[in-house]
Amino acid sequence: MNRGIARGGALSFRHAGKIYDPEGARVVALDDVNFEIAAGEFCVVVGPSGCGKTTLLNAIAGFDQITSGEIRMDGALLTSPGKPLLPGADRMVVFQQGALFPWKTVLWNVTCGPIQQGKLSKKEANEQATHLLARVGLTSIENQYPGELSGGMKRRVEIVRALMNDPKVLLLDEPFRALDALTKSVVQEYLLELYDLTPKTVFFITHDIEEAVFLADKVVVMTTRPGRILKILDVGIGRPRDYRILTSQEFMRLEGEVRESIHDEARKAFEAGEREMAT
Amino acid sequence: MTASSSVAATVATREAPVRRSRFSRWLASWWSLNLLLGAMSIGTLGLLWEFAQPLGIPGVKEVPPPSEVVRISADLLGSRLYWEGWMLSVQRITLGFLAAQIVGIPLGLMMAMHRNAFDTIFPIIEILRPIPPVAWIPVAIIFWPTREMSVVFIVFLGAFWIVLLNTIGGAANVDPNYKRAALSLGSNQRDLFWRIIFPATVPSIITGMAVGMGIAWEMVVAAEMIAGRTGLGYLLWQSFEINAIAQVVVCMISIGIAGYLSSEIIRQLGGFAAPWRRTH
Repeated sequence: MNRGIARGGALSFRHAGKIYDPEGARVVALDDVNFEIAAGEFCVVVGPSGCGKTTLLNAIAGFDQITSGEIRMDGALLTSPGKPLLPGADRMVVFQQGALFPWKTVLWNVTCGPIQQGKLSKKEANEQATHLLARVGLTSIENQYPGELSGGMKRRVEIVRALMNDPKVLLLDEPFRALDALTKSVVQEYLLELYDLTPKTVFFITHDIEEAVFLADKVVVMTTRPGRILKILDVGIGRPRDYRILTSQEFMRLEGEVRESIHDEARKAFEAGEREMAT
Repeated sequence: MTASSSVAATVATREAPVRRSRFSRWLASWWSLNLLLGAMSIGTLGLLWEFAQPLGIPGVKEVPPPSEVVRISADLLGSRLYWEGWMLSVQRITLGFLAAQIVGIPLGLMMAMHRNAFDTIFPIIEILRPIPPVAWIPVAIIFWPTREMSVVFIVFLGAFWIVLLNTIGGAANVDPNYKRAALSLGSNQRDLFWRIIFPATVPSIITGMAVGMGIAWEMVVAAEMIAGRTGLGYLLWQSFEINAIAQVVVCMISIGIAGYLSSEIIRQLGGFAAPWRRTH
């Protein structure tokens, strides 16, 4: 494995908290979240629905504020209460439902960022786009509209669009949720291939435990409301990885460990929900 | 990697041209089949009407058979009055409809973008909108200096509400993730409007136009009947007054054709303005 060295992108969360509607219902989405992601590390966050995973991602991306604590990138303050929102091309997001612009062609979607910011000329951007699309098995789709592509193809185009901006951090919010199992495993391998190719910090959200362990250097398990860090596991399985590790002893042991902690959480969340219904 | 080559292969086969004979291609192309079916159904309807008319069935016996309509239409189609009617109705539609777009689209976009503008203007709209445009005819005649302007105004009203509401709805419901993605990709507020909000609203605007065009034709005919001195609607009513029912039918069919042609223009415009929707 000959990965380059990441140019930054280390994230640190210090007492990060988020309360929605502080004067009214006071929904605590995040409570005292503390952890670090090293530059170039692949971090996967798993947890039951409503555990604040997406809140955390939106805070890193600069789409939403936190209400206490702070989030830093490479030592510089990204977000803290009252700080103006600052989305930027150094933190690219791949959205759950997908956000390719349907009114533009694939090529335009993929190249608009670097051209807009003056990072690349149109010609350079086109060349790089064609190259990256080919790397994920997409050829001669440049002039099609996103609506003409399958789900798996769209997800790959979207990942390429994010990487074209050469971000320090790649943020993915359950990107493969809507894909069928076979497509999912193929797209996961493409993602790992791209990750091995270019050093980037990855912050990946999922419900899927197998996916988490397969992709991650570090798995962060979160509890349900209030969203707290329950457990952090290091995945020591080497890279490059492919589907064959799925049946290895080490993989199954780690998967079991995550599943156990998350199962307790899921049951607690479920029972809390039942109690709420009863009262 | 096998997965990548198989995906590439799928893409390639999708684009490969399918070889067929000239005739079968002609037969299979959707428009010719559509045309054939359409002509057959219209022909059948005409025949049924022709043979049912002499049977004296109430409701059918009062309306002249197609043969007579065709005979009368030959006379009418040769008259200057008829073509002048076409021209004036089309002119009123064009003016009223364009005015509705020019006022409705920017106003709708502004209301969708600015909460205060929406809260100020929306209550007025909700009171005025349920009033049928036809009910405006007397006020329009009093208010506008010429009859011509009042007819155009009624056409405007017919198309305006629906275009306005569709524009507001389309622009207010743009997926917030498109905006977030655009901000991450380096958009400023101006880009956000012109590159995200506006193109994302175009399909809703086109839908509003298509519905609005239909209402515009209803309104021009009604307004010409009541307030006009010319136009297809006026000609239709005049024909009824002199009991020339075949001529009424010719006018009705003419209006139908005019409405169809207008819808086709909007459809073509829609395909041009929103090419990414053509495949759906």
